[in-house]
Amino acid sequence: MRVGDRIFGLVTIVVALGYILSATNIQTSFMSDPVGSKTFPYIIGAVAAFCGLIMLILPDADPEWPSLAGILNLMIALGALVGYAYALKPLGFIGPTTVVSAILSYQIAPNLARAILTGVGLAVGLFFLFYYGLGLTNIDPFPKALLG
Amino acid sequence: MTYSVFKAASLGAVLALGATSAMATECIAPANPGGGWDFTCRQIGKILYDLGEVDAPVQITNMAGAGGGLAFSTVVNERDTDADLIVAASSATTTRLAQNAFGGATADQVRFVGAIGADPGVIVVAADSPFQSLNDMVDSIIADPTSVAFAGGSAAGGFDHLKPLQILKAAGFDDITAVRYIGVDGGADAITQTIGGFTQAMTGDMSEIVGFINSGEVRVLAVLTEERVPGFESIPTAREQGYDVVAVNWRGLYVPGGISDAEFDTWAAKLQAVADSAEWQEAMVANGLAPFTKVGGDFQSWVDGVVAQTAELSREIGVIQ
Amino acid sequence: MEILSNLALGFSIALTPFTLTLAVLGCFLGTIIGALPGLGPSNGVAILIPLTFTFGLDATSALVLLTSVYYGAMYGGRISSILLNIPGDEPALMTCLDGYPMARNGRPGDALVISGVASFVGALLATIGLMILAPLLARVAYLFGPAEYFALYLLAFSTLGGIASNNQAKAALASCIGLGIAMIGLDNSTGMPRFTGGNLHLMDGVDFLVAIVGLFAITEVFFFIESHGKGSAIGIKLDKVTIPWREIWSTRWTMLRSSLLGFVAGILPGAGASLGSFLTYMMEKSIAGEKGGFGTGVAKGVAAPEAGNNAAAGGALVPMLTLGVPGSGTTAVLLAVLMTLNITPGPTLFADRPDVVWGLIASLLIANFVLLAMNVPMVKVFVRILSVPPWILMPGVTMVSFVGIYSLTGSYFDLLLMVAFGALGYSLRKLDIPTVPIILGILLGNAMEDNLRRAMVLSGGDWTYLFSSAISNGLWLAAVLGFVAPLFLRRFIKKPQAVTD
Repeated sequence: MRVGDRIFGLVTIVVALGYILSATNIQTSFMSDPVGSKTFPYIIGAVAAFCGLIMLILPDADPEWPSLAGILNLMIALGALVGYAYALKPLGFIGPTTVVSAILSYQIAPNLARAILTGVGLAVGLFFLFYYGLGLTNIDPFPKALLG
Repeated sequence: MTYSVFKAASLGAVLALGATSAMATECIAPANPGGGWDFTCRQIGKILYDLGEVDAPVQITNMAGAGGGLAFSTVVNERDTDADLIVAASSATTTRLAQNAFGGATADQVRFVGAIGADPGVIVVAADSPFQSLNDMVDSIIADPTSVAFAGGSAAGGFDHLKPLQILKAAGFDDITAVRYIGVDGGADAITQTIGGFTQAMTGDMSEIVGFINSGEVRVLAVLTEERVPGFESIPTAREQGYDVVAVNWRGLYVPGGISDAEFDTWAAKLQAVADSAEWQEAMVANGLAPFTKVGGDFQSWVDGVVAQTAELSREIGVIQ
Repeated sequence: MEILSNLALGFSIALTPFTLTLAVLGCFLGTIIGALPGLGPSNGVAILIPLTFTFGLDATSALVLLTSVYYGAMYGGRISSILLNIPGDEPALMTCLDGYPMARNGRPGDALVISGVASFVGALLATIGLMILAPLLARVAYLFGPAEYFALYLLAFSTLGGIASNNQAKAALASCIGLGIAMIGLDNSTGMPRFTGGNLHLMDGVDFLVAIVGLFAITEVFFFIESHGKGSAIGIKLDKVTIPWREIWSTRWTMLRSSLLGFVAGILPGAGASLGSFLTYMMEKSIAGEKGGFGTGVAKGVAAPEAGNNAAAGGALVPMLTLGVPGSGTTAVLLAVLMTLNITPGPTLFADRPDVVWGLIASLLIANFVLLAMNVPMVKVFVRILSVPPWILMPGVTMVSFVGIYSLTGSYFDLLLMVAFGALGYSLRKLDIPTVPIILGILLGNAMEDNLRRAMVLSGGDWTYLFSSAISNGLWLAAVLGFVAPLFLRRFIKKPQAVTD
């Protein structure tokens, strides 16, 4: 089966055409040079679409995709990281870091006790390293609301 | 250079935290640490404190973004009446304001309090160029506008681009859109392109070319100041050669528009004190700046004139409608 | 003589206690980063960049720290290749071929020492080469106008793409992704926004540090989760380390030849250390012939790729410093650092900032001796670090990446973008689409477009101007050859896909 490359080739073509389409909407100013703001994006989009076409026609063998459970694991990790990005500022460093480190650790080696220990250890250890060692004072240890 | 716009605002805030006190004067440098605006804030801030003009060390905040537009809109929208706030400015600030590059903001929303030094504009050719004087070059362009391509450190329509156009206008040449100009990454690149023969002339600031003058690789056709620059007396001004153009990259400050006249005058006086200090004289020499002191109402009306002139020229070349 | 006085200037900067401390610290961190499987020079340097800025280091100090990490990682990469048969980073791949067999034959200590000395020879010769060649090359820049730069960037993409992947279409696509991302933000010439979708966060474009940390560090985390960190703990025990003088001496010509070839490979824009180690191993293998026993654990097979990849690492600094075109993934990351520090690499760098250039070169020389000491007598220290289990290491790397980027930009949007780049990097690497051209694209995209536009302004819109000089034509030819040649060569030299026992 050579599905991966085919699908990605198709996605590439669609995205590249979308890119070119959105390039046609670039505002130009009155003072324009011979090339202008749109030409280079057009070239990039065209080359990318061509590469997508080649992947569609001449796909490589599929890599070993993770199992369904593996994909679920990756999705959970992705979700945790996205959540972390949103949580870091409002909830402070310690809490989110503990949770997300523990999740990641558990996913690499499923051992709950070790994962929790890793989470707490990293959160506290890194906080001291960043805050006191490196002087990164724009991270708050705890939610701002708690600190008043 | 989109990629060089390094979001250091938060970093600057972090670094400044140590020195924060509620009443301290704050100087906003609308760019990353290391550039001209940052220099302005740090030097003026330090001298103000050394002279005793302010009680606490001046707190420097770097607020990079939109070529100074972020700082400008912050000052106008959030700090309009803050009399303890000064902001570094230069010709780039007024050029962008004149060209409506700050998203609708206009120069009259703040008060320009003074300039205390300037980097003189220059027109430079390679040492082996056939042009011996500014007249040679202007004649050649009038005969064939494509015969000379300029390289400069600012984007098309920027301050470096406007310098040769002002000269050509002064020479009575009106087809200025036919003049070729490429904006490269800074004066050093522009001069390299010119020495390499890819462009016929470079337009930039004096400080950018001092090393090349000393190594004999370039010839300065004109300096765009009122008088010849001390230390470079052999370089003629554009005025002497019959083109009444003065274009200098001044270094100075603006303050929020909502402060009182008395507060404005206080800042003008403090800036004058900085300009007169020996420390500033040394800093100017070390950084290739020529004396250029205009403060208070004088400076404000000079800036108004420059903005109007820049806007007119920009309309002609199509940077703005 | 000019070199000597410049060097004196360099050492006067590098030998200050502060700079020296940074160099030692960088070497130490670098060796650890290189030794840890999954962390190589590019992601090692990438993770440290944000922290460097938060330290508030000046330009020279930041460069010294990060290039020491870079050199250190090149040394350290071999440790896990030899002991675990997992390359610590891509350039160390070839070291597995003879290093691991040698270790299994009961000589792990010898393999580490020989490769350590080879790394030293390669890196030292390359630093000397950099010292001699870079100022000469800096003069060349007067010959480079917009058309030539455009062709040079193209060459960087085509040679890097040619080697980074087994499929030219995929390499080209990766370059396009990077270039496409570079277009986001305000147009340099007109000041109009492009591809921002009205999002204010995107007005200044995508910060390349965010992309780099995402593509290198976060992607790695996903891979570890997928594999559950398998195959990272079983290794060969290292008992005692002695120095096999005789064997080191027997590889002297191998080291010299490999250093030279590696250095040249490094100078080629876009080629870099992986190519250096690959070419030198292949060269020595064919010189030794069947009798050489390459692949069974011979000293020359260990020395060649290590001398080669370390020399290439030094060589890659030449085009980065003189022309602003990185020769490898890691130098691309270093170029990002320079740009962020407002230092424009290029011909004028040598004239304008001799303190930066020569301070850097002197630090590299010092770093080499520090690294030799760390990697031969003290190698056991680093071997112990290899036992940090991935379930602590990878969450740690993630958190350092997040805090690094957050402290730099203070924006959750950039953190999200970083995670997105991590997910993108995972999918792309699964499909064997290289990620380094993406970085190169983001870094060089605006410069490439600007030079194209400048060239057209100068020529008044005449496209033949791009082919109007001998230099630009030569670069175009090399670019086409560099892109096409691997298609044919691949039949003969297959890139080792994965090193299996």
